[in-house]
Amino acid sequence: MKIGIPRALLYSIYFPLWKVFFMELGHEVILSNHTNQEILNNGVKICVDDACLPIKIFHGHVTDLIGRVDAILIPRLISIRPEEYICPKFIGLPEMIRYSVPGSPELLVMDYNAYSSEEKGYEGMYRLGRELGSPHSSVKHALNKAGLRQAAYFREMEKGFHPMEIMKRMNHPSERYNTWYKDSFCTNAGLPSKMSAKNSKGTIGLIGHPYLLYDRYINMNICNKLAARGYKIRFPENSTQEKVDGACSRYPKKLFWSYGKRLLGAGLSMMESREISGLILLTSFGCGIDAFIDELLIRANHREFGIPLTTITLDEHTGQAGFDTRLEAFIDMMEWRSRYDNHISPHGAHLYSGQGPV
Amino acid sequence: MTITFPHMGRIYIPVKALFDDLGVPVVVPPPVSKRTLEIGTRISPEMACLPMKINLGNYIESMERGADTIVLTGSCGPCRFGYYGIVEQEILRDQGYEMDVVILDAPGRDPRPLLKQIQRISGSSPWTKIIRAFLNASKIVERVDELADILLRKRPRELKRGESDELQSRFEREVLKCRGSKEMLDFIAVFKEKADSIPERRDASPLRIGLVGEIYTLIEPYVNLNIENKLGSLGVEVHRGITAADWVKTHLSFDLKFKRERKLKLKKCGNYLDLCIGGHAWETIASTVHYADTGLDGVIQILPFGCMPEIVAESILPAISRERGFPVMTLTVDELTGEAGYMTRLEAFVDLLSQKKGKEYEQA
Ligand code: SF4
Ligand code: SF4
Repeated sequence: MKIGIPRALLYSIYFPLWKVFFMELGHEVILSNHTNQEILNNGVKICVDDACLPIKIFHGHVTDLIGRVDAILIPRLISIRPEEYICPKFIGLPEMIRYSVPGSPELLVMDYNAYSSEEKGYEGMYRLGRELGSPHSSVKHALNKAGLRQAAYFREMEKGFHPMEIMKRMNHPSERYNTWYKDSFCTNAGLPSKMSAKNSKGTIGLIGHPYLLYDRYINMNICNKLAARGYKIRFPENSTQEKVDGACSRYPKKLFWSYGKRLLGAGLSMMESREISGLILLTSFGCGIDAFIDELLIRANHREFGIPLTTITLDEHTGQAGFDTRLEAFIDMMEWRSRYDNHISPHGAHLYSGQGPV
Repeated sequence: MTITFPHMGRIYIPVKALFDDLGVPVVVPPPVSKRTLEIGTRISPEMACLPMKINLGNYIESMERGADTIVLTGSCGPCRFGYYGIVEQEILRDQGYEMDVVILDAPGRDPRPLLKQIQRISGSSPWTKIIRAFLNASKIVERVDELADILLRKRPRELKRGESDELQSRFEREVLKCRGSKEMLDFIAVFKEKADSIPERRDASPLRIGLVGEIYTLIEPYVNLNIENKLGSLGVEVHRGITAADWVKTHLSFDLKFKRERKLKLKKCGNYLDLCIGGHAWETIASTVHYADTGLDGVIQILPFGCMPEIVAESILPAISRERGFPVMTLTVDELTGEAGYMTRLEAFVDLLSQKKGKEYEQA
């Protein structure tokens, strides 16, 4: 069976798991195209107005697969860690798609719910594997392989590598799955390969959901632009879970959004380590989670760290020019401050700048 | 310790009674107004939920009247409501307000923290007294809702236009003069009787519209621009998909019969949505299906801008509407929602329904 996977939302994080799982079960996996203007337009057209940009784009990716595949995978990521969720929209995603996208082929809804325990998480995948007609033993085997692959992928990210670098290194002829590296999101992440530590001016922390950071089209190629100005980038995915949990423990109540927590924890620990020269919060207009997370980050920074920080909000009307101006202005401000202004308490205009979409 | 709490419709009535009974000083925030919203909007993140902005406005206006401790309830996701308290605390702190924030979270594995919190805000009353006060308060929640239901029925049928509205404002003006649950219950009973005896037109056969959506927006009249009264004045009988009493029964009580019925109702919309996605989106879908089944004329969904679960519901509703030939309209409100445009949309929807009804009547 030809299974289509929309190259959107958390595909950039879980693609190894999904791809290996379906390949092991003897299916063919086909990805939607990289996000482009048509995908964006389609998504905006069919999705409800009030939704955030990433959800609209997911809709666009689903339409992009219509006619090319026998079925489309719609992951329902209810919970990826015990006692945490991601976002209400992730839970209702299959329903949003089912009732908004006309003419779609069969939708393979794959639940992932690790709320009560990690092992339980895989039950939905197991169920889907069986529904697709594979016997118990093959599904178990496929799950196992896919799980190992995914774990390796996570480990590499935590070592500080950008997904694209991981893919490159793993892209060896002996690799059975090498086709997906070629084909995967990372070629679209827009990180230039040569970024030696020697000639870099410093590191910028880039905080945002994976579907903003690892999609060059949505994020206006921000990674390349930062690199062109001579900066290395730290992503939230580069922080270990322990670091994230540790940094978030300052709040009296446990955060129950896995990515919200990762963004907050990674951001805080970057600030605490003082190894970044600036922090960019990339968010989509209408993101309910970021509204809270970014607020907490900005406030913590304001109180304790005073690191140059800006928020850039993306939506479907974001234009290249406005975005570039915003980014350039931030980098200029950051560099100017590090030259002349090191000792002055960094309150001021930049702190709450960039609230409206660009 | 002087306690305050966020507004949510008429929930201030039972809450005031509760703290009166416990002998704890309490400040009821002034009714939500333009000023409340302005204060809240100024200090909240732009993309925060509208309810949170208003909460913050409430706290500050209460503080101006001497409150120093905020009590609110929490939850553990998936929606933002569960983290309001923490973000609010941070904001208040940075603004230089020294307020104690007590968050009553649903007990997880260990109920002790919750019990401790309750004792703290109860002025160390004995447990028997605390329990009695809570029971009485939940009784008041129900009575207040019953009164509201009577008025919803009366409004499109009243002989003298505006009589129900007037009774309601009188009730709201005077109810705060009561002290303690006993006085309050008696007072409500008197008004229930008055409401019941509002004379009706005999020939009335009003349109019936169900209201569904995000709970705060549904319950707080300032935020929904008083939609219940507006529809009533357009001659519509309003049915409410979720009420404060439902919320209390679902989250704070042991009313098993109610819980069973709720489950059943939720299960009935299973082909559209079969799990909780946060907030009250599941109720939104279930109530809509229920209203379509029970022959109402249409449904209006209300949500604050950016409300995550209701956005999911919003994208399912057109399918229900299509498949059942059942009119549904979605209204998104934010701090800029204007009275005029809003009223126009309500009127247009009501027109549409009455035309549809007229046609069906002719055909029959
Ligand atoms: S986390 Fe934010 S951006 Fe992602 S789906 Fe939810 S609201 Fe949209
Ligand atoms: S249900 Fe809507 S209003 Fe309530 S917390 Fe969630 S997003 Fe905010």
